[in-house]
Amino acid sequence: MDGSRPVPLRLWDPVVCITHWTVAVCVLLNFTVVSEHSELHEWLGYVALAMVVLRMIWGVVGARRARFSSFPPSLTAARDRARTMLSPGRHGHGEANRSHNPLGALMVYGLWGMLFAVAGTGILLENFGEASQIGEVAEEVHEVTANLLVLMAALHVGGVLLESRLSGINLIRQMTWSRRGKSGPV
Amino acid sequence: MGDTDSKARLRRRVYGLAAVLVLQSVCAVFFVGDAIRDLHFSGLSGHDVLEAAVAVALVSGIVFGAIEMRRTIEQAGRAEEAVTIASGALGTMIGEHFKHWQLTGAEANVAMLAIKGFEIAEIAEIRRTAASTVRAQLTRIYAKAGVTSRSQLVSLFIDDLLGGPLPGMEATEETSSAER
Repeated sequence: MDGSRPVPLRLWDPVVCITHWTVAVCVLLNFTVVSEHSELHEWLGYVALAMVVLRMIWGVVGARRARFSSFPPSLTAARDRARTMLSPGRHGHGEANRSHNPLGALMVYGLWGMLFAVAGTGILLENFGEASQIGEVAEEVHEVTANLLVLMAALHVGGVLLESRLSGINLIRQMTWSRRGKSGPV
Repeated sequence: MGDTDSKARLRRRVYGLAAVLVLQSVCAVFFVGDAIRDLHFSGLSGHDVLEAAVAVALVSGIVFGAIEMRRTIEQAGRAEEAVTIASGALGTMIGEHFKHWQLTGAEANVAMLAIKGFEIAEIAEIRRTAASTVRAQLTRIYAKAGVTSRSQLVSLFIDDLLGGPLPGMEATEETSSAER
């Protein structure tokens, strides 16, 4: 019956949600069903790159929680976070629910870096062709980074599920710009 | 209420802006990608200068669109915050009244549910007690609050919330001019 519960109703804004899911779908399609040599593969790659570029712009000028300054990469903070997650005492809330948690933030930066690597080598490959020397190197790097990207995405999903379980907050629903948290009335 | 109306409008605006931003970004990346390919195949020409200008225009359009979007989101956030603060203030006020009337914990709980509009049977179900218990508790609550019915109980808070004289009821020119 405590009337004051000053939590924001939505965590992520539509730009974050749309870019997130578009990238997820593009990567998944390109990795699984779309043929590597098809035009669609390139198109999807460009769309994913566009979403990451938009997210970068949004990370500088966007809504407070989406800005890079809200989740600076920090190894020590991530380590602390991992420790509290694994300790039986569970994590104190409080700083949670503001932006990415330190551990998630590291993964986010890693995923973005990998997306740029995959997209960049993809564009090189498209422009120079597999026959050229640059194209050959690009192809190798493109494959390795694409596999790494999917591996990291899988880890990311695992981390989200684990964190949702431990904190009791459905992080997946938060990414859909729906009203979050427990329902309001008693 | 006009409040939910404006909130829905804000939300539509945010979605619309987001869609435009996404479209612009896709266009910008395709355009720049295409320009780079042209550069690769045919070398630098006067045409490229124009293309570079278009690219800059596209990207700055995205940046300004994003800034506009942030303003809209912050505006929507402030509107939601105001509602939260208002409901928080009402909750505090109700709690203070309960304390003043010296309601017991159970009575305060029942009173809150009654104010929220639950029927006696529903309150009994929520609190897992008999309806007769709830009825007895409500009677004690009304006695402590000095009212005879639930609607009187609710109107106590509405009265407090509205504060001074009702603008519509007192047709003095002072209040109506102060209103506008």
